[in-house]
Amino acid sequence: MNKDVVIKCDSVSKIFYSSDKGFDVVKNIDLTVFKNEFLVLFGPGQCGKTTLLNIIAGLDMPTSGKVYVNNKEVIGPGPERGVVYQSISLFPWLTTMGNVEFGIKAAGVGKKERRKRAQYYIDLVGLQGFENTYPIKLSGGMKQRVGIARAYCIEPVVMLMDEPFGALDAQTRYLMQKELEIIWGREKRTVVFVTNNIEEALFLADRIVVLNNCPTSIRQEYVIDMPRPREYTGEKFLYLRKEITGNMDKTL
Amino acid sequence: MMNNRYLRVFLKIFSAIISIGAFLLIWHIATNGTKLGELMPGPIELISSLIKSTYTNIGKYTIIGHILFSLSRVLIAFTVGGVIGILLGTAMGWYKTAEAIFRPFYEMIRPIPPIAWISLAILWFGLGEIMKYFVIFLAAFSIITYNAFAGAQAVDPVLIGAAKMLGAKDSRIFRSIVFPSAVPYIFAGLHTAISASWATVVAAEMVRASEGAGWLIIQGMEMNNMIQILIGIIAIGIVGLLLSIIMRGVEAKLCAWSKSGK
Repeated sequence: MNKDVVIKCDSVSKIFYSSDKGFDVVKNIDLTVFKNEFLVLFGPGQCGKTTLLNIIAGLDMPTSGKVYVNNKEVIGPGPERGVVYQSISLFPWLTTMGNVEFGIKAAGVGKKERRKRAQYYIDLVGLQGFENTYPIKLSGGMKQRVGIARAYCIEPVVMLMDEPFGALDAQTRYLMQKELEIIWGREKRTVVFVTNNIEEALFLADRIVVLNNCPTSIRQEYVIDMPRPREYTGEKFLYLRKEITGNMDKTL
Repeated sequence: MMNNRYLRVFLKIFSAIISIGAFLLIWHIATNGTKLGELMPGPIELISSLIKSTYTNIGKYTIIGHILFSLSRVLIAFTVGGVIGILLGTAMGWYKTAEAIFRPFYEMIRPIPPIAWISLAILWFGLGEIMKYFVIFLAAFSIITYNAFAGAQAVDPVLIGAAKMLGAKDSRIFRSIVFPSAVPYIFAGLHTAISASWATVVAAEMVRASEGAGWLIIQGMEMNNMIQILIGIIAIGIVGLLLSIIMRGVEAKLCAWSKSGK
């Protein structure tokens, strides 16, 4: 694997203050993500995973520590980092095409070029024929495909995915995991993927970072070098599943 | 199944005819043979006068002319009030500075019923059209501003974050996120505002006008002409209904993406 560093978190901490009391949410995260690596942040509960991801995105500022993407300090939101949300968060008044081309439209790409590029990513996620459909008419899985295409279309350096399949039913979830692996295989990006689902983590990850709950800190790292596509019931898969689950923070 | 649906539609229309017919019949009997006839014209007399008023003048114009006068007053003032209200409301909802500057004035004006301004408007603008525009404008403006304001404030912060991550700058976020997400709220405001404007034009015309639906009613009262009053009332009702149907059609087009557009 190419070992170029793309994301670097340098002792990142986040404290939320409520009235007089400070509440540690993220504590001393040192994290390096390499080029085209699929990194999964895996941990229980609802504590700080999303906050950590938002800090990398620039939507939230760390209380102390710094985040660098391609050696540039993150000081706010920006299109070199694409985000896919759990709540999907499509713009409901825009069609599939309108959502996917939103970012490059804001960047001033002309209409013809814009349509061509958006169409490429719409095809990539398998939504041809739904270009002019509003999100309200799409199923949960299809909406999240639009979300992925929208993030891809600005051609970001890193893709940040915050439990993107958390709101889907179990069947659709398996399907989307396979879909995402195929998409990622065809359009390699550096991905940081947050989940609390161990199967999802093992199916997708090059490396799993297991997080402690409240405050979020790094517990252990596992490099997953199983060949792709992986079998949910493969011997090594099940072994790692047991190993990692056994090593999880059980405090809630 | 198809037959069933036709049958249901037929029954609906049939029962509507029966209930309206029964109402007209009771009205007819009540006004033809009792003392009530002195206070109230019968339905046949009223309907034939209503039809006749579409081609003979009452005052200077036919009923259609009077309606068009009122309608043009409403539409002009409503449009101006709508545009200003939408811009001001969404700006106040999104830009903190705009809220700090305009909201105190707006909150002072908002609770005052538009009709309360009529006397002042007459002293300021005289008895002509401007006075009516002004009062109707106030009615439309204050409702629409409030709804646009609430709509802009209710925008989902996750969508704002998503737009920022996609590289959108402040003015684009206002135009393409805050504004469209306020549209369903704005339409709720436009619905209420068109009724309020329509009510206000009638009041303004009652105070001083020589044409319009409000004038018909006031003139009818002065001449002790109940038919003319009732024709005015019916005309106001029909036009109000038409306006709200048109508004719903526009909303269905513009809000096809949301539940309210269905």
